[in-house]
Amino acid sequence: VSLTQPTATSVSSTPGRRAPLLVAGLFIIGALVVVAALGPVLAPYDPRALVGDAVEPPSARHLLGTNDIGQDILSGLVAGARSSLAVAVPAASLALGVGTVVGVGAALRGGRAGKATMRAVDGFLALPGFPLVVLLAALAGPSRAAVVVVVALAGWPPMARVLYGQALRLRERGFVRASRGFGARPGYVMRRHLLPALGPVAAAGFVQWAATAVVLESGLAFLGLADPTWVSWGSILHRALEYQGLYFSSLWVWWVLPAGLAITVTALGFTFIGVGLEPSFNPQWRRSL
Amino acid sequence: VTPYLLTLYVMVSLNFLLPRLMPGGPVEAQLTIGSPSYVYDSAAREALSAYYGLDRPLGAQYLTYLGGLARADLGLSTTTRTPVATLIADRLPWTLLLAGTGVGIATVVGFLAGAHAGWRREHWSDRTLVAAFVGLQNVPSFVLAALALLVFSVHLGWAPLGGARTPFVDLGPLALAADVALHLVLPACVLAAAVAAFQFLLVRAAVVTELGAEYMVLGKVKGLSRRQLKYRYAARNALLPLVGNTAVQLGAAVTATVFVERVFAYPGVGRLLFDAIAGRDYPVLQGCFLVITVLVLATNLAADIAYRFLDPRARP
Repeated sequence: VSLTQPTATSVSSTPGRRAPLLVAGLFIIGALVVVAALGPVLAPYDPRALVGDAVEPPSARHLLGTNDIGQDILSGLVAGARSSLAVAVPAASLALGVGTVVGVGAALRGGRAGKATMRAVDGFLALPGFPLVVLLAALAGPSRAAVVVVVALAGWPPMARVLYGQALRLRERGFVRASRGFGARPGYVMRRHLLPALGPVAAAGFVQWAATAVVLESGLAFLGLADPTWVSWGSILHRALEYQGLYFSSLWVWWVLPAGLAITVTALGFTFIGVGLEPSFNPQWRRSL
Repeated sequence: VTPYLLTLYVMVSLNFLLPRLMPGGPVEAQLTIGSPSYVYDSAAREALSAYYGLDRPLGAQYLTYLGGLARADLGLSTTTRTPVATLIADRLPWTLLLAGTGVGIATVVGFLAGAHAGWRREHWSDRTLVAAFVGLQNVPSFVLAALALLVFSVHLGWAPLGGARTPFVDLGPLALAADVALHLVLPACVLAAAVAAFQFLLVRAAVVTELGAEYMVLGKVKGLSRRQLKYRYAARNALLPLVGNTAVQLGAAVTATVFVERVFAYPGVGRLLFDAIAGRDYPVLQGCFLVITVLVLATNLAADIAYRFLDPRARP
């Protein structure tokens, strides 16, 4: 190892090196979208219907066997893709929407009102998120809308923080000042100048929170806090781990492993996209990785 | 300290307000005859209505709630009719032991691996380590826990299936410690895997930034060994942020115990919370929420104080 090499800036993680990650991430999420969209066509059975005996091993009729009450596990996995996206995408969109309005609004407004808003956001950031999410989900009862809102609620403060900082920097740029000087109203400046420039930051925030939302949703389902009529990867795992005989047979190979892999690969897919997007606007990354 | 007290106060008040403001009112449903979640045990129902006091004005309810908290009165469990404070006091030591051990392992492993990866940055071993830590971080802890249990306990038989110690046996102090440690290893390692990535990336980044510093060149010219340069010079700079981060990770680990304890049937607060959710035991649920919140905030505060103590620049 040569010690005289200049350091931080020359770590060779150039943007080009991250392109494969972006491609891999897009491929994973693209495949997930296809599975979710074609769900009922791809799945051999209705995931809720009792179509076989209890805990059948994999066979030509049930490629991944059946669970403890005779539902087809493969069909459950396919349905899980849909429930995963159905929580992650709305939750991340909601978090991004609220975060944008609050963060960019505070930056445009500036002055005392803007500062006070961001102090309140800091207050939200200081609240321990996970316990609060669990309490809210438990009290709201098992419904998908509740899970979406709760996950979004935990996600908007960090987005507001990042977008506020970025918008504040933009506000001082020439073209924004000129536009305001010509008498443009905050709404117009936001639409015309700020939102396009904030696009990459917002996109990265969106995919990062989507990754968190996938894990959070499966976690809540695992804790038994998701809609019980809705098949999700977390609820498959919940059911599998409640089954007493799981540990004394090879059931876990087709019951636990595929669902666990599905959650992990989906979260990784979103993370890859996030990391792949990052360096195009944030040279800081070169230093930390 | 003030912002932490303020946050604690907000959380305590949310704990009071949320069950009362939630649409549908799950607590009220438990007290209404004919609703599906009606509590049939009359003593538990009375304790529940006394604890929540829903017939009185909100302000009076709030004062009773705060007064109860001050006396560590968290109400009665609706499923076991035991005081919630007693339940939690029984479980808390196990959670602290588990989270502490997990973060300890994560910190040691993260430090050594991070120092190595930073030192050999761009080397294949660095890339492998980065990929491994970031990958592990993306596996949900309950998936990792289930797989670890299946592989190491069920198939290899290296560790017990669950629990915190062997039940129904009297062991000497030494044998008991060994038994507890044996039950602890696997869940603690799973917990460590969940938090090690942060420690690793932190140390790695710190070492990378120090590599070209002039004092490193001087050290090399002086003829110091590579070991000394690596650990006593470069990695030493990572210790300060590492200490601050360790306390924060302890808070994160406490929340992860909710999942890990469920899989390993470990008798901690997380397992209590899981059972409370399954049994719709709202007083226990809220008690666990408060305890976990206090733990997270306390570790964050400890990190702040440690930082100020260790780094004179951070003192006001």
